[in-house]
Amino acid sequence: MDPALKLITILIIAIEISFTQNLILNFIIIIVSLLILILNKISLKSLLYIFLVPIIPAIGIYAAQLINGSTNYGIILATRVYAYVFLGTTFTKTASIKNLIFTLEQNCKLPAKFAYGVLGAFNLTETIRKEIKQIKLAAAMRNVHLTFFSPTLYFKSIMSALNWSNLLAEGMTSHLFVEDSPRTHFKNININKLDYVKMIIIIFLVQIVLIKF
Amino acid sequence: MQKTWNLRNIILLTLISIICGIIFFATGFIYNSLSLMLTPFGLAPFANDILIGLWIMAAPLASFIFKAPGASILSEVLGSIVEMFLGGQWGAATMIGGFIQGIASELGFTLTKYKHYDWIGIISTTLTTTIITFIWDCFKNGYSAYSIHMLILLFITRMISIFIFGGILTKLVTNMLTRSNVIK
Repeated sequence: MDPALKLITILIIAIEISFTQNLILNFIIIIVSLLILILNKISLKSLLYIFLVPIIPAIGIYAAQLINGSTNYGIILATRVYAYVFLGTTFTKTASIKNLIFTLEQNCKLPAKFAYGVLGAFNLTETIRKEIKQIKLAAAMRNVHLTFFSPTLYFKSIMSALNWSNLLAEGMTSHLFVEDSPRTHFKNININKLDYVKMIIIIFLVQIVLIKF
Repeated sequence: MQKTWNLRNIILLTLISIICGIIFFATGFIYNSLSLMLTPFGLAPFANDILIGLWIMAAPLASFIFKAPGASILSEVLGSIVEMFLGGQWGAATMIGGFIQGIASELGFTLTKYKHYDWIGIISTTLTTTIITFIWDCFKNGYSAYSIHMLILLFITRMISIFIFGGILTKLVTNMLTRSNVIK
């Protein structure tokens, strides 16, 4: 399925489960997502991760409803946390940010400067992570401990980001990336008509579950 | 609008959201331990509301740096897409949440006609962000089932958190950037 359509489908489902209270739908979403993930050969490690990570918020929200609200609602909310995470993981494991941005650019009229700008920045994530670590280490050497509370940490990282964004933009321009001019594509992405049908069927099924149960 | 959102600024905007995202994830253990401590008392939602300010910080920060319409929304939406691919805890909710927080924060600056990048702007964006994200959490996290006392407490906690991180901390960072002549 095309990443852009997949994203829309997932967002519609996520919005629907946010505003409705349907335990069965939450379970169906979790099970179907799990099946899709297994069919896509997800590693055992990532599977464990998505089971363990939401456990604290899910239990927390359940306990809060148990003590201060209603128990039934608590179960729905706890499964909803899992439903969100499974929906999100199904998307991120079966689509890459690169394909998503390319199809958004070619099929959804996203301006090229946004598409390639975001993609360029995304590729710097690891560098940013290293930089933040380095800023913290450098400060620690002077016996200054920077946490998420210190403006200096944000200030220094933004200074680096300013530098990188200049360099990256210059680099892209010198490789003849011209803003707002039409581009040709090495790989043309066309949305298959079948994908639209799939999307409509999935959303239709969700409505049926919502009405029936 | 056309001039502000050129290639370099788009890259910078995304980088700022990523920076905020990474600093936020580095503190993920605080959320989890806070949440675990509060769970036996049924007060886990407070962990969410105490830390929400960190979550939304990218939006006012971007608005203060670029001083242009759309900065808040763009930074939150771009940030949430990136966060989702980096493996955030909340999955699909991240994206919807990012969009709602972006609109909420942007609205604060819209109400001041994009002219007040000072304390008035901060108070305005704090108010809109608190109110709109609170309404969203009424549905998403089931706040509507709690008693009125708890709701009031949650609301105040959220407002203080957003004011400290989205207001004071943002202002301090912007002051530093202004002093070094990076932004006007």
